[in-house]
This record gives sequence, structure tokens and C-alpha cells, in this order.
Amino acid sequence: MKMVSQTIIIKNAEGLHARPATEIAKNATKYTSTVELDVMGNKFNAKSVLNIMSAGIKNSTQIQIICDGVDEEKALEEVLQTFKENSLV
Amino acid sequence: MKITDLLEEKAIRLNSLASSKEEVLNQMINLISQTGNIVNKQEFKETVLKREKEGTTGIGEGIAIPHGKSRAVKKACLAAMVLPKGVEFEALDGKKVNLIFMIAAPENQENTHLELLSRLSALLMDEKFREELKGAKTPAEFMKIINKAEQEKYGEEKAVDGLLADTFISSSQENVQKENYEILCITSCPTGIAHTYMAAEALEKAGIETNHKIKVETQGQSGVKNHLTSEEIKNAKAIIIAADTNVELSRFNGKKVLKVRVADGIHKPKELIERALSEETPIYYSGKVEETEKNNLDEKEGIGRSIYRHLMSGVTHMLPFVVGGGILIAISFLLDNYEINPAGFGSNTPVAAFFNTIGNAAFGFMLTILSGYIAMSIADRPGLAAGFVGGAIAVSGVSLQSITNPDIATVSSGFLGALIAGFIAGYIILILKRLFSVIPKSLEGIRTILLYPVFGILLTGAVVMLINPFVGMINTGLNNFLNGLSGTNKIILGAILGGMMSVDLGGPVNKAAYTFGTGMLSQGHYDIMAAVMAGGMVSPLVIALLATFFPKKLEQKDRSSALLNYILGLSFISEGAIPYASSDPLRVLPSCIVGSAIAGALSMLFNCTLMAPHGGIFVIGIVGNSLMYVVSIAVGSIVGAIMLAALKKNVKQQT
Repeated sequence: MKMVSQTIIIKNAEGLHARPATEIAKNATKYTSTVELDVMGNKFNAKSVLNIMSAGIKNSTQIQIICDGVDEEKALEEVLQTFKENSLV
Repeated sequence: MKITDLLEEKAIRLNSLASSKEEVLNQMINLISQTGNIVNKQEFKETVLKREKEGTTGIGEGIAIPHGKSRAVKKACLAAMVLPKGVEFEALDGKKVNLIFMIAAPENQENTHLELLSRLSALLMDEKFREELKGAKTPAEFMKIINKAEQEKYGEEKAVDGLLADTFISSSQENVQKENYEILCITSCPTGIAHTYMAAEALEKAGIETNHKIKVETQGQSGVKNHLTSEEIKNAKAIIIAADTNVELSRFNGKKVLKVRVADGIHKPKELIERALSEETPIYYSGKVEETEKNNLDEKEGIGRSIYRHLMSGVTHMLPFVVGGGILIAISFLLDNYEINPAGFGSNTPVAAFFNTIGNAAFGFMLTILSGYIAMSIADRPGLAAGFVGGAIAVSGVSLQSITNPDIATVSSGFLGALIAGFIAGYIILILKRLFSVIPKSLEGIRTILLYPVFGILLTGAVVMLINPFVGMINTGLNNFLNGLSGTNKIILGAILGGMMSVDLGGPVNKAAYTFGTGMLSQGHYDIMAAVMAGGMVSPLVIALLATFFPKKLEQKDRSSALLNYILGLSFISEGAIPYASSDPLRVLPSCIVGSAIAGALSMLFNCTLMAPHGGIFVIGIVGNSLMYVVSIAVGSIVGAIMLAALKKNVKQQT
């Protein structure tokens, strides 16, 4: 299975803070595929709130969402949607 | 920012028996208030509870991080609590929570909050660390454990360098954010309000599309934003400089540097990224090699373009003086009473004199700043002093004859003179650099601190004095020519002067018309100044109207600058239209010229008068026949905007 990915730039003055991090992890956990955030070459597990928050993603940071597994397309779609719903992009 | 710096022992509680989420939060808020950093406990509590309602901060694995960002917080701080029996916290994974950190952050410090959260999370990911914390016997021990973990983690990471750190980080998946961009860019344009940021945006977007990590530093009128760090430069593969001004390159020593115009950054960002990464992009070396390297570049870019770049470098630095000084002077006119003494208009009342004095002080620098920075653009730092002095002499109009014979009147060479003086100073220093290159290396210091200043200033001063009478004559000749016209047909004169204001938008032609307008004030031709200002106000308004009523004619990112152009136009700052004119001169300039000419002609037709040399809409109160004056400007702007809309094609929708 080929992995899917999407690059986005965070557009939110507060950056990727705790609340959206929680939402992302909540939604990412629904899928069996791995969901990772590539932040300047470093990968973070998007299914863990701690992992996401430890990335300390600030406003204007470019990140890549990478999903890999059987339901990767759906996972990517929902995670992207979560970013949008939380006005992160 | 260390966690141990923000957490105090008195804000740690190790054996809380709280039995509900509410009780836990109350206890924590009491704890954190003991630090003295919370100004208003009740307000902070409301913030925390509100946040908890939006979604639980119980993030799983027995951890909760309740937090609040509020103006009730004086200084960022933490509190910590261990609950041996655990408590129900509506956590994500449904488990009980037994380790809690509370964060209090002041308002408007998004990054502080985020960094704290990031740091805390990174530490808490380690299960062993969590267990150790829960096993701590005293607050002091609790602090010690955190301190040790922080030192291990962040201390070590600093020691490990480059590649090693990367593998270390990605394998362990725990780290601080580490900057690592493939390509770094700098964008900069002469006015520094639009193109700089448009190019930055285009490059960032292209980076995403081509999957290259890019960071762009913008050097605009508001200063440097998104500064590139030396660490980032060290790790980058290539540098792209998209600028029409001189960008300091020494920090990119040994890197592949691609230098292009700012317009290329906007129009072909993807191509630039490819070129920057390709083999043909040369590696830049600063220092000794710089001069030859730079000269090569200058030759390649053509004389016209290099002159333009030097001129614009000067204009960039001059602009704030013109805007600040001009507007303050306009305010002084607005607050003054013309009746008291027409000759001293602007300083008749104490308040007006106050604004007028400050404004004039700024205006007084304008031309010397221009020549100084033109010279600096040509010859780097040694050019600055010679340029300033040359400019000052040009403005004073002193000539070799007038020093010896006080009967000869000095005629200021004005804008044209200052401009020429800047180039003279710059090239004199360049020649001196060649001449003095024979001086042994051991005496190198003496060149910059002694030889360049002394000989540079001396020679520049002499040459400028020599040419002053001629440049002054050209200036005067131009004035006389315009004077002759005024007898024939006022309306044609108004059209010509109005149109001239938009020919080069703040350049020599514009300045000639403007200078003529101001000059005629002293002879009582107040209508001429009115026509000149009407013409000068039209160009930015044309752009603003185009963006408002024909948005499809402009790129998305250009449209947002529209609002600014209304303000610039109404303030009589013709330069606002420059970014648009320079990207599409053949369509924008004719439209602006026609619009300005109409405004100028109408202003003359309606016999509008203006006694202030600056101020735009702010001095409308002192315009004679002000209603028709507004009509003149409106008609000119609308005609210009419609013409431009007809000439410009719709922008293709970019996907």
C-alpha cells in the first residue's frame, strides 16, 4: 500500500495548541493506518496528544500529514478536515 | 524557557485526595495562585473552566494539562499535582488521571504558551519520567526529577550536532522543534509594502506544491520578518534572493545563491526553486572575492538595471522621511490659520508650528538620505558618508564660483542634483577602491577608516560643486519652460502637470512638476499646486478603484493592498501605485497618466486653489472650491480605473 500525504501551513496565531491537538489525536485514533505529522523533517505520531503537542507547532509552520495503511485515504481526509474545523489552516 | 524556572515548590502537591474534576481544578488554581503570578484568581478560574468545557485536557495515560491564557496572568507559571488514587477527569482514553500540570499563560503570548506545552509534552511522553514523578516523596524531589530530565533531554540535544541529532531525533520520535529547510529565500522590493510579501507568499506556495521545505525572510518597509538563523543557513541546500534592492549577502558565504528580481519570485517561483537546486547556480563567496563577484553580477544585469537598483535603494530609505515629514507638515497646515500671516502659513499658531518644525526636520533629510543610500548601494558602507555629503552640497547649490564671490546666487540642484550626487559619490568610492587596492594588506584597516572617508568626501564634494551650476540651470530651465506655458492655456497646463505626476510616480518627472507647483505658491499661483496634487492623488486611487470594482483584473494577493492605496491616494502619496506600475507599466502608467491629466485639467477648469504643498485629503479644508476639487479627483480616478480595466486582461484563475 502506498502512503498518502498532504502538506499544509499552519495559519493560526496560537499555533497548534492543546485543544486542536486533542481533536486531531481523537480523530486520528479512529483509523488503523498510521497518522504522522512531519514537522521540518521530524515525525510525530498524530494519534498521541503528547506527541503532537511536543512538536510545538507555531503559526506559519509548514507541516506534512502522512497516512499509511489500509484506510489511509479516509484518515488523511478526516485529519485534514479536523485541521480546517479548528481553523488551523 | 525551562520548566523548572516556571514551577515553584510551593505550587506542587504530591498527595491530593480530591475526588472530582471540579475539586482538582479548584485545588490547582489555589496552588498556582500561591506563586503570586495570578492577578485575578476568579477571572483565571473562569478561563480554565471555560477551556475545560470546550474539551477535556485529560489527554490520556493518566495525564491532564488544564490551562488558561488570560489577562489575569501576570507571568507564565505552572502548578503540579499527583493524585495517588487518581480522579475521574473525562479523559480521552477514559482512564483516571493521576498526574496533573496546570499552565497559566499571559494573554498575547501565544508562543510562550505553545513552547511550554511543547516542552512539557515532550518530557511527559517518557513513561519512566512519569513514574518517577508520581513516586516523588517531596516537592524538592519532584523538581529534581524534572530538572534532571530537562537537562538530559535539552542539554544533550544541544551537544549533538547536525546529522547525528536528526537520526537521534527521528528514531526516538521525541525532540524539540529543529529547523531544517532545503531552500531559504529573501524577498525585498523598493517600497517594501507589497511585492516583498507577494513574492514571499508565492515562493512558500510553490514550496508546498513542489514538496520542498522553504523559509522566506521578508525585508520590507516594516523591517526584517521571519529572520533566517545561521543554523538554518548552515543546513540549507540553496538560497534564493528575489530582490530589487541590495541585500546583504555575506552571511550566505559558501552557499549556492541565486539572485533574481522580485518579480521573478512572484511570477516563476517554481522555476526558481528548480534553478536554485540545480548545478548551474554558483556558490557565493564573500569577503575578498566579493568585489569581483559583485562586479560580474552588475555587468550581467546591465547598466540600466543596476542604476535602477541603486536609485531604488535610495528611494526606499528616503520614503519614510517623505511620508512622515509630509504628513506632519500637512497637519500643521490643517491646524493653522492662514489669515494671520499668509507668508508664514504652517507656523502661525504654536500648535501648527510644533508639527511644522518636526515635519520640516524630517523633510530636510529627504534628499541627503537619497544620495547617501544611492552611494551606499553602489559602493557599500564606504559610500554612505560621501553620498550624504555630496547630497547636502547639491541641495545647498553651492558652486566653486559662489564660494569666492558672494554676489553669485546659489541655485539648489534639488532632487536631480541629489540623485546625481549619490551616483557620483558611489562611483568615486568604487574608483578609490581600485586605486587603493595596491596598498599592502597590513594597512587594510586604514583604507576604510581614513582613506575612503577623506578622499571620498573631498572628491565627491569637489565634483558636485563643479556641476552644481549646470544641474541648477537644468532645474531652473525646466521651471522657466513650465512658466512660459502657464500664459497660454491654464487647462492644458493643468493636464500636463497632472499627467507628469503619474509618469514616474515619485520619480524626477513627478518631482519636477511637484517642485514647480510648490515654487509657484510663493508667486501666488495657488491653482497650479491644486492641479499638481490632484494629479498625484489619482494614481493610487486608480489602483484602489480597480481592485474594488474590477477585482478580476488583479491577482488575489494584489487586491488586499487595495485598501492601503485608498489611504495613500487620499494622502497624496503617488508612490502607492509603484508596485502595480512596475509589474505592468505599459497598461498601468498610461491609465494613471490619463486619469491624472483629467484631474489636473478639471481642477484648473474649476479654478481650485491650494496653498499647502502637501497633505491630500487632510488639507481639503483649505482648498478653494473644495467641492469641485473632490469632483475633479473623483472623475480622473474613475476614468483612469475604467481605462485600466479595459486594457488589463482578466487574471487567469490559478489552481
